[in-house]
Amino acid sequence: MKRLRFYTPSLAQINISAASLMLPRRDRDDWTAEWTAELYHLCYCSATHKPQADPLRFSLGAFPDAFWIRCNLLRSAALPLLQSGSAARCGIILSALAAVGFLLCLCLPRARTALLPFHPFGPADLVMISGASYAGAQAPTIPLENYQEWQTDTAKLFSQLAWYRPTIKNVYVTHRHTARLSVALASNNLFRVLEVPLPAAPAAPAAPAPNSPRLILSRNAWRTWYHSDAHLVGSTASIDGRPVTIAAVLRDDHGRLPGKVQAWLLEDQLSLAQLPPHAKGFVFARIRNSAFPAPRGGIRVMTDARDGVTHCFDCISVDWLARQPTSNFLFALLLACMALPATTALPLGDYPRRRDRLALGFHTRRWVFLALKFVLVLAVVYPASIALAWGPSFTGSTAVFLQVATAFLALLFAFRWILQDQRRRCPECLRLLSNPARVGQASCNFLSWNGTELFCDRGHGLLHIPELATSWFSTQRWLCLDSSWLCLFAETPSPSPGMV
Amino acid sequence: MPVDAKLSHTAAMILQAIHAGHIYGFSVMQMTGLPSGTVYPAMRRLERDGLILSKWEQQSIADADQRPPRKYYRLTRDGRATLEAVYQRYPLLEKMIPTPQSKVEQRV
Repeated sequence: MKRLRFYTPSLAQINISAASLMLPRRDRDDWTAEWTAELYHLCYCSATHKPQADPLRFSLGAFPDAFWIRCNLLRSAALPLLQSGSAARCGIILSALAAVGFLLCLCLPRARTALLPFHPFGPADLVMISGASYAGAQAPTIPLENYQEWQTDTAKLFSQLAWYRPTIKNVYVTHRHTARLSVALASNNLFRVLEVPLPAAPAAPAAPAPNSPRLILSRNAWRTWYHSDAHLVGSTASIDGRPVTIAAVLRDDHGRLPGKVQAWLLEDQLSLAQLPPHAKGFVFARIRNSAFPAPRGGIRVMTDARDGVTHCFDCISVDWLARQPTSNFLFALLLACMALPATTALPLGDYPRRRDRLALGFHTRRWVFLALKFVLVLAVVYPASIALAWGPSFTGSTAVFLQVATAFLALLFAFRWILQDQRRRCPECLRLLSNPARVGQASCNFLSWNGTELFCDRGHGLLHIPELATSWFSTQRWLCLDSSWLCLFAETPSPSPGMV
Repeated sequence: MPVDAKLSHTAAMILQAIHAGHIYGFSVMQMTGLPSGTVYPAMRRLERDGLILSKWEQQSIADADQRPPRKYYRLTRDGRATLEAVYQRYPLLEKMIPTPQSKVEQRV
């Protein structure tokens, strides 16, 4: 017990030293000296036996004290950043809006599909045949009978055709366990058409039934239902009581085909023929070089005349389809850039040409801030337009129109705001200028000048904005104030706050 | 901090203890019975708000007592005004931690 009493002050001192690490270096010595002096007084000068006089217990209080000082310093440092009108606040708000837009997109399934291209693989001549324009990329539209007829009738247009139809099937997963999976009944050339390499199946542990169809699992289904079993490929499963061979597990980026499919059951043509002829599915095809001259992107209409009735189908380039939201956005961006000069003046004003050593930073900071605002606005509008257009269940062409229209309007007004905001900022500290005051008289426009003056709260300068553009004062002009003016301004830059 | 600012009971006790002459952190702890983890952050807050002021005692005094110098606290003018306002909110504060002056008055 005596030994413990001897070691207690040392342990308490260790606690204080450990707590001091939370503080900035400049405050550490002062703070440690105070706590050490109090500890010394407690151990060697105080005769009290109250519980709080226990050195070890006393020293534990150093941690909340150091923590409070650290939090207070952080708050003091963050406060100027979040002050109204500061550049940092502007950047934080725009970044937060961009983050919200991206999160919104990720939460809406259709918007997520549009944001993340569903088919980032495949050859350039791969097309998707749709009976409902863009909507055909989301829901099955091609009946099986059409697919079967096209296999022979369109040999001059397409070198290969593949079809699949998502259905819900009972898959016998493990002993006494059956899962309901979204299984696509697919023609056995589907992955050959898509040029997705399927790994060769190892020798099956149990001999599969002759001519049993092959089952391709998505990575997600493999993880969820088979617990990432490394020896699964080659084994036999059962779908609705029918034995199938698990042939491969697809990589994640290959599982983004339309239809939310968890597994593909590759069937031969005879088995497919047993399905109802009106069963609708997705059709992918490889176009012949001779059929469509380059460039092969975009949409081409294919007509199919049978029994006197003409049906139109769209051949949509898969590559183009994957990049469609981005293409729409870029088109809206181009329109907004073209329309911007009609809505606001582009010049940002006259700023003095400084020749001192701070000149580079003075100009660079302004332009970097302007560029950052443009980038952040693009990051806000892009996901927001996708979420608005592709999130709700709009049909394809409506979604395209909505995306272009919303992106165009949002970009136009945002760019307008960026330029106006930039003109109203101090070039030194990038804070918004305040206290607008009208000066001069309109009737004396040609003798004197009239307009509005704004000044920087920190006394960096004055901004003159002419009421009417004249040949000698066409745009706003910035007047730098030297340090002798600082005493007139209440809000001068203060040194960083520290502990008293 | 404005005079009519509402202080917590703990902060008011610490302010009264300093006013009563318990000018060191440990003395405030002894007087109020509060733990060090409460007293010191509260004193930092009071100092930040301009109600108390800290100073290091002179090295010569510490050397005479053969101990390290201690940091002591005293009330500022704002602190005194705030304490006067706080008495209305916590009427028993003066009786809980009497100042030497009030002790003399009580005896008289």
